[in-house]
Amino acid sequence: MNEVNAHSADAAKQTLKPCWSCKGPLAAGALFCSTCEAVQPPAPVDHFVRLGVERAFEVDVPALDRRYFDLQRQLHPDRFATKAPKEKALSQQQATALNDAYETLKDPLKRADYLVHLEGVGVLPEGCNLVQDQSILIEAMEMREKLMMADSMDTLNAIQRETKAEIDDVLTALSLAFKGADIEGACQLTTRLKYLDKMMGEVRQARARLLA
Amino acid sequence: MAYSKELIDHYENPRNVGSMEDDAGDVGTGLVGAPACGDVMKLQIKVNPEGIIEDAKFKTFGCGSAIASSSLVTEWVKGKTVDEAGEIKNTDIAEELALPPVKIHCSVLAEDAIKAAIDDYKGKTGQTDTDAVGESQDAAE
Repeated sequence: MNEVNAHSADAAKQTLKPCWSCKGPLAAGALFCSTCEAVQPPAPVDHFVRLGVERAFEVDVPALDRRYFDLQRQLHPDRFATKAPKEKALSQQQATALNDAYETLKDPLKRADYLVHLEGVGVLPEGCNLVQDQSILIEAMEMREKLMMADSMDTLNAIQRETKAEIDDVLTALSLAFKGADIEGACQLTTRLKYLDKMMGEVRQARARLLA
Repeated sequence: MAYSKELIDHYENPRNVGSMEDDAGDVGTGLVGAPACGDVMKLQIKVNPEGIIEDAKFKTFGCGSAIASSSLVTEWVKGKTVDEAGEIKNTDIAEELALPPVKIHCSVLAEDAIKAAIDDYKGKTGQTDTDAVGESQDAAE
C-alpha cells in the first residue's frame, strides 16, 4: 500500500506540466500554479491522491475532513469573484472533483466499493454488483422478512441493533481483507455491506412509518 | 415520468405473492439479487408430472418495477412447460410493463429468477441444463 502511494506521489512530482496560464512548470495534481497562482484543471488522479490520503480502507476521517475543508476554502467562489471566466470555471471543476472524492472516501461502503474497483479492475470488471454467494441473498431475504413482520418500536430497535452489529463485523472483516490484498473477499464483503446498508435505510423508514 | 397502468396494477395488486416448500421435489426456487439497489427476489415454480408449471410464487423486496416484473413472470409461467418458461426474455417483460430505461435491469432480474428456478428444478429432477443465467445481461445492454 505504502509503495503504491509513494509511487504515485513520486510520479506526481516528476511529471512537471506547463501551467495553462503562464506556461511555468507545474507538479501534476497541484491546485494552483506556484508561479502565477492560477487555478489548474483537475488532475486525472484517483480520489485518494486527490485528497492526499493513503490508499487504504482505513481512513483517518477527521484528517480527511480537515484536508477537504481546507481545499474547498481555497476554491471558495468568493476568491474567484474578480477572476477571469476560465479561472472561475476551473475552480468549479476542481470543487466538483473534490466533492466526488470526499463523498466517496468518507462513506465506508462507497470507499470499499471504490477500492475494489481500483485494485480489482483486472479480476473483477463488474465490481461488486454480481452476487457470487447465495448466502448473502438468503441473509438479505431473511432480514427483510423479519423487518416486514416487525410491528413495535422495541422490535425495530432490536433489528436496528442487530444490523448495526453486523455492519461493524463486516467493516472489521473488510479492513482485514484489504490489508491482506484479498480483493475477491473484500468484494463479497462489500456486496454484503450493500444489503446491510439498504436494510438500515429500510429500518429507518419503518420507524418513521410507525411514528407517523 | 409516468409509469404504465400495467406496471402500477402489478405493483398495487401483486399476483402470486408467497412461498412454497423449498425442499419439495417438484418445486424449483430461484433467488437472485441486485446489490446496487439492494433488491432481492425469490421466485418459485411447482411443476406437475407432465412437466407443466401449475403454480408459481414470488417474494420481492425492491422497487415497484422489480415487484411488477416478478409478479408478471409468475402470471406468465403458469400453464407453460418448463422449457417454454425458460424462453421468457427480459425484453418481453420490459415491453409489457413499459419499463423506463433506468428500470430495465429489474426485468433482467426477473428473467434471471425464472431461469434460476428452472435450473433448480432441473437439478432436483436430474435433468441437466447448460443455459447460462448470465446471458440475459447482454440482452439488457
